[in-house]
Amino acid sequence: MKNLIKKFSVFVIALMFIAPACTDLDEELFSEVTADDFFQTPEEFIAALGQAYSSMSGMGGSGGLWATNEMASDEIVVTTKGGDWFDGGVLIEIHRHEFTPDNGFFNNTWGYLYGGIGTTNRLIFQFEELEAAGNTEAAAFVAELRAVRALYYFWALDAFGNVPLSIDFTDESPPANNTDFNAGRLEVYNFIESELNEIIPLLDPASTANTYGRMNQAAAYALRSKLYLNAKRFTGTKQWLKAAADAKVIMDGTVGTFGLLPVYSDNFIIQNEGSTESIFVIPYDKVFAGGFNWAPMTLHYANQSTYNFTFQPWNGFSTVEEFYNSYIDPAKNPGPQGPVWTGLAPFDPADDKTPNGMGTQDARLSNFLVGPQFNADGSPTEDPAFESETSAAPDPDGTRLNFTPTINEIHPNGWRQGGARMGKYEFEIGGTENASNDFVIFRLADIMLTRAEALWWENNGDAEALSIVNEIRARAGVTLYTSLTADNLFDERGRELFAEMTRRQDQIRFGKWGDEWWEKVSYTQDGSKYIVFPIPQVAIDASAALTQNPGF
Amino acid sequence: MKNKLLRLLIMLSKFVLYGITVQFICIGLLLASDGVSQSIKPISEIDLNVRFETASIKTVFDKIESKTDYHFFYDESIVDTEKLVSLKKGRTTVFDLLLNVSQQSNYKFKQINKVINVNLVDNKNDDYNVMIESAMQDQNVTGTVKEEDTGDAIPGANVVVKGTANGTVTDLDGNYSLSFSDEGAVLVFSFVGYKSMEIEVGNQSIIDVDLAADVTALSEIVVTGYGTQQKKEITSAVTSVKEKDFNVGMVNNPAQLIQGKVAGLTITRPGGDPNDDYIIRLRGVSTFGANQEPLVVIDGFIGASISSVDPADIASIDVLKDGSAAAIYGTRGSSGVILITTKTGKVGRARVEYNGSVSFDNIDRTMNFMTAAEYKAVNGAIDLGSDTDWLDEVTQTGVSQVHNLSLAGGTQGTQYRASVNFRDVQGMAINTGFQQINGRLNLTQTALNGRAKFILNLATTTKKAEFGFKDAFRYAILSNPTLPVKFDGTAGLTDIGGYAERDVFDYWNPVSIAEQNLNDGKDTRTMGQLRFEYDFMDLVDGLRLSLAYSQQVENDIRGQFFPSTAKFGDGSANNANAERSTERRNNELFESTLDWVGSAGSTDITVLLGYSYQDFFTEGFRMAGGQFLTNEFTYNNMSASQDFNNGLGTVESYAHSSRLIAFFGRVNLNINNTYFFSVSARQEGSSRFGENNKWGLFPAVSGAIDINQLASIGGLANLKFRVSYGRTGAIPGESYISLQRFGPQGNFFFNGAYVPSYGPVSNANPDLAWETKDEIDVGLDFVTENGRWSGTADYYVRTITDMILRVNVPVPPNLFAQTDVNIGELKSSGFEFAAEWKAVQNTGLTYSTGLNFSTFSTKIESLTSGDLSFGEGGVLFRANMGSPGQNDTELVRVKQGEPLGDLWGPVWDGTTVDADGVPVFDDLNGDGSVCNCDDDRKVVGNGLPDFTLGWNNSFTFGRGWDANLFFRGTFGHDLLNSYRGFYENLESTTVGSWNIVKTDAFDPNVKKAVVNSQHVEDASFFKLDNASIGYSFDMSGSKAFSNIRIYLAGQNLFTITNYTGIDPEVRYVDTGENFGDPDDALSPGIERRNTYFTSRTVTLGISLGF
Repeated sequence: MKNLIKKFSVFVIALMFIAPACTDLDEELFSEVTADDFFQTPEEFIAALGQAYSSMSGMGGSGGLWATNEMASDEIVVTTKGGDWFDGGVLIEIHRHEFTPDNGFFNNTWGYLYGGIGTTNRLIFQFEELEAAGNTEAAAFVAELRAVRALYYFWALDAFGNVPLSIDFTDESPPANNTDFNAGRLEVYNFIESELNEIIPLLDPASTANTYGRMNQAAAYALRSKLYLNAKRFTGTKQWLKAAADAKVIMDGTVGTFGLLPVYSDNFIIQNEGSTESIFVIPYDKVFAGGFNWAPMTLHYANQSTYNFTFQPWNGFSTVEEFYNSYIDPAKNPGPQGPVWTGLAPFDPADDKTPNGMGTQDARLSNFLVGPQFNADGSPTEDPAFESETSAAPDPDGTRLNFTPTINEIHPNGWRQGGARMGKYEFEIGGTENASNDFVIFRLADIMLTRAEALWWENNGDAEALSIVNEIRARAGVTLYTSLTADNLFDERGRELFAEMTRRQDQIRFGKWGDEWWEKVSYTQDGSKYIVFPIPQVAIDASAALTQNPGF
Repeated sequence: MKNKLLRLLIMLSKFVLYGITVQFICIGLLLASDGVSQSIKPISEIDLNVRFETASIKTVFDKIESKTDYHFFYDESIVDTEKLVSLKKGRTTVFDLLLNVSQQSNYKFKQINKVINVNLVDNKNDDYNVMIESAMQDQNVTGTVKEEDTGDAIPGANVVVKGTANGTVTDLDGNYSLSFSDEGAVLVFSFVGYKSMEIEVGNQSIIDVDLAADVTALSEIVVTGYGTQQKKEITSAVTSVKEKDFNVGMVNNPAQLIQGKVAGLTITRPGGDPNDDYIIRLRGVSTFGANQEPLVVIDGFIGASISSVDPADIASIDVLKDGSAAAIYGTRGSSGVILITTKTGKVGRARVEYNGSVSFDNIDRTMNFMTAAEYKAVNGAIDLGSDTDWLDEVTQTGVSQVHNLSLAGGTQGTQYRASVNFRDVQGMAINTGFQQINGRLNLTQTALNGRAKFILNLATTTKKAEFGFKDAFRYAILSNPTLPVKFDGTAGLTDIGGYAERDVFDYWNPVSIAEQNLNDGKDTRTMGQLRFEYDFMDLVDGLRLSLAYSQQVENDIRGQFFPSTAKFGDGSANNANAERSTERRNNELFESTLDWVGSAGSTDITVLLGYSYQDFFTEGFRMAGGQFLTNEFTYNNMSASQDFNNGLGTVESYAHSSRLIAFFGRVNLNINNTYFFSVSARQEGSSRFGENNKWGLFPAVSGAIDINQLASIGGLANLKFRVSYGRTGAIPGESYISLQRFGPQGNFFFNGAYVPSYGPVSNANPDLAWETKDEIDVGLDFVTENGRWSGTADYYVRTITDMILRVNVPVPPNLFAQTDVNIGELKSSGFEFAAEWKAVQNTGLTYSTGLNFSTFSTKIESLTSGDLSFGEGGVLFRANMGSPGQNDTELVRVKQGEPLGDLWGPVWDGTTVDADGVPVFDDLNGDGSVCNCDDDRKVVGNGLPDFTLGWNNSFTFGRGWDANLFFRGTFGHDLLNSYRGFYENLESTTVGSWNIVKTDAFDPNVKKAVVNSQHVEDASFFKLDNASIGYSFDMSGSKAFSNIRIYLAGQNLFTITNYTGIDPEVRYVDTGENFGDPDDALSPGIERRNTYFTSRTVTLGISLGF
């Protein structure tokens, strides 16, 4: 017995010391993959490539690149509506050009751009490795990715100017920009130009369903054309003829086959994929690719019943009145006169479907949602919490939900129903927060107007420029121009390209960025401060090698 | 109802069946043990019943041998066993029986201990033909050991002849018998928790002893990591709370038992939601990285779920407060360790205990808001024609019942305790509450002559919860008081499912929320532990091996449903929405320890060595979708959701694992009961650490000196000075965060179709290591000689470095914009004091009072490290006020060099408003204008407390009466009252959409909702947390019951505070603006709009012992 106990004891003690063999602390993954286990099959390459594009999906949201550009321009405003949408003042500050590096919109924008740049850098590195390993498809992917990266850099150059040029995935040093603002901008500009010059021949010349939503040759030409159009701001050197030449490649059908759609608003319908006018889009889909949130961003809470949405909208983004008026004001936009929503003039409650004034009837008024709103069943939509007579800013037409182009004030008591809404993209009946319309980045009309403008800057009597502008105006059903001026060309671009993220560039190019509009005060557009946004404080804190833009 | 009862019965019988099965398995083991514990009795004292008139001598011998422990010893050649003798029928002693045999034969008998020698009578006239000769043991003492106070027998008490190994233990009735030959022997009577007694035997043969409870409590057993120690030997800050000191009333969570009882341990649950977990913080906030909750160890099972043990089954809770005590738990010890010991069976007769109670829960505190009349008088009020008491509509008197039944007992070889606990808890909010049934079996079996011990603990809990929606409370406060509950045709109202809804932003009918929608869960917790202990007494005295395997499985299944007839949850907008999810968490622990208890000279030495292997695995599944044709399925038929056909449903599944491996050791020294030392170390690795830092070393050293032993101080029994240092760690809250991982990142349009795209979801950090906490603790303990005063005081300083935080990193060069790194430093310190005074100790009245007090301060030393920075250069603004209109309005500033918990905002004098009714804030930087920026903001409060207080008062009086009053207070913390920040104004949208919050600070001139310093309030409070009165009936004459006690208890009876919000309790974490936001430890001090009202509970209970 004693012997047995001894044997047993030896066994247990041994067990204690064998047990230390179990010291394996490697992690076992189940629902995630590491880099080592990825990049193995062709499907995985495509899935990897996809991130270069899927990381663009923030474009259609309320907080990033698009919103920052548009709210800073004279197109869009988000007013404080009583207790709603003040949000610490960040939205009003952008509208008033009180830019500070702490404003979260700039950080969101920066994160969006450099997220995309980081992703493309990584993918370029990975596909180059594959190419070196003999993969024949990889070369085309590398060219395409460089084009995507050039697009991100174009947006970054436009928004922030002197941005750090990170192009090598293997470089682990923190991002650094040039200590000289102008030299830095020039470097970035030169990089984008040389990249595009190099890769355009390598890209797919066709514009078919297979390259829809991807950087093909036409998209790269469009990008380079717009880069040249704004070259004077970026580098101090005008490149009008180069801009016009790149636009012509697209207009002539040398790459792809594009043409204006007969009806302007067809560019923005729910099923707008494959539009012959679209050169590059971000494809959105309520099932596969969410993130296009204009319906909740712009519509009133009670509009849920108008479209039987599965969500309640947020009543945020609306149009600056002066901008809306550039469509209906006969002096700015001559054309057929007829009933339109003109502002605060009283409307007949018995016949509230009839607009309340006379003005130019531009087909592109489809960009806005104005006037009384109706539920899907035809009954009038009401706002039970409207600003009553006794409130600080009474709503002139009572409980009836009626979008007036006029907005009483930006802060603190902006009308809940004030401002024309962004009706540009068709809303889906029964839709979700995520729209299925594809978001237009480059469109033929923009490229045509780019060529027209470039020719006009070169020679303000250029006949082709006038005829291109009139082609655009003819589709909108308004009177043709007899001559082009800075003002009518600027306004025309505004009307055609509302909310397509071109307005801020246009305002700067035409020297109108320092002008006063509504709540924004005037200042001298001196070429540096406010021409770019401040580099977000978060980015500067994360990298000591970053120099803040001058003036911030 | 009938069905429910039936299910309950089936469930109960299942537990009983399990219990019985386990019992049977263990009976086999029981037989191996020797039940005889007492000395041999003389044959004259042993009775036998004789049934035969004639029998052979052999039959007589066999009979005696089978009925008693005696053996006959004889030479077969001499003794004729076939010889018949005639016997007298009936009861007789063995002595008389043998005398009878002797008289009929020529044999004589001599008893020596258990042996009866048989021999031929050499002299026919010899009178002594039966002799009792106890040559070895010439004295025999018997007696009974009882408890001094109650007079109850103490089974299992030790009775030892002093200075020898000769001893015994008392039987089930407290009786003992001991024989010895030593002259002038002294018997030592001892039992855990009682003062030992020594009695000189002299010529007494019966010694009855009453043992007194050890009032000095110096020998009280304190559970420490991997072992126990006597209180006097403890060298670190450890507090032990025994069952008698637990909070009473409706206690559904083990944490509630010790709420307020331990200096430095704060246990909070803002609001009265019975389904909410308690937030436990030891010595304040010691990290805002991973794992802020203390580690819970149940009966040695590390990391067990506190919800797997029923409060009624807990015998004691020990809290390891300082670094040196917790260091033996290594990477998980930084936030402190709570050791829960469950009740076990004791040697003695089977005891059945029943505890039952019924509780009534009512609204205590809520937010003040306008009545219908007040609201209608406001400019712009929207009168919808009714007068609705929304609070009344969404609340009820929650009636709850709790039943605990236990069976416990044991023999020397086997001790068992089995219990069933049933809880049916109704929340104060309508349609909330839970039903829970818990079963537990604790079994200890001794085998191999006391060398081996098997300990089995099994526990299982099933809980069926109706969580409800806290939104019902939020909108009960915010509902327009003139809005009817049900749609009545009033203009401006919408009829959704029969309820009156308004088409305004951020509003839902609260009664509809509570009545129409489902938010349910069914959770099961199963825990099992098998421990084997082996004592190598033959090899090395005092050497013991322990092997333990533990497993816990937690299974949750949840469901939410928002019918098409409800506005809430987008039910009506999306033709009903449903969600179903399930998660299973598995936790397996294997540990082996080797410990040795010995001595060298006057030094007692305890050595511990151990190995630990723990594996965690979590897996889950969730699906959500809408568009149902019918509401009948609720969440039970997800395939009926059209959203899945349309690609709009949500499905996810996941699994992750992690592992912890450790080697540890400890040496404890007790030198002459005067100097005490402890040194320990744990070398531990976690799979969650980065490749380069898998292992960490966590050492501790502590020492104490009993000054009273050196210089005997008058009136003191003990005066101990302690110093300790210990290092502990914290592991990352998630697995895999040190790895570069890829995951699905949406879809992209490729060749005419959407294909999934993949991208990085994290950056690699191979250096990711544990968070380190170094703690120094200095303490003093004292007990007076009469045991009436005792106390303990501690001062500690903690330095927490290398916190695991997610920081922003530049992209590129990183693939992902955030990386988990070790960064930052926190410093916290505090003073703790606890004392107890047995003020009155008369027969008719006793009164004792205890006070505990603790201070806290936590400072952020650093948030940066090289290029890396948590926040913007060591400053970080957090805690968004939220919608409507106050997004990007951050309420908290976290800054290097500043205390943790600072609330941040503009300063308003409470009166000045501009023409629009907008509050005019102070121009703090004096530049002539007030900017909407940080130049004109400052620290306007701090969410963390300065000190906390617990004050207990216990009384006994008359015959059988007892009473207890427990007060609790927390002082010096502020709370931001979100309701006021949003709704205490007459802004048109506030008036048009909601009701108006109205405290004493309400000012009708304010027409703008903008959060400011006025909304930050001092939330110091002092409350009568717990009060009870009980009566124990005198059961001395009863055979059926051993005790009956009835009691009445109240919880949260009154609160003294100036805070105007719902609950002045400290908010250690920010629950966020939206329901379901992750908790944020960096933003304490905000009362959000999702706070459940507090409740006042009255409980009537009964305890029965059989």
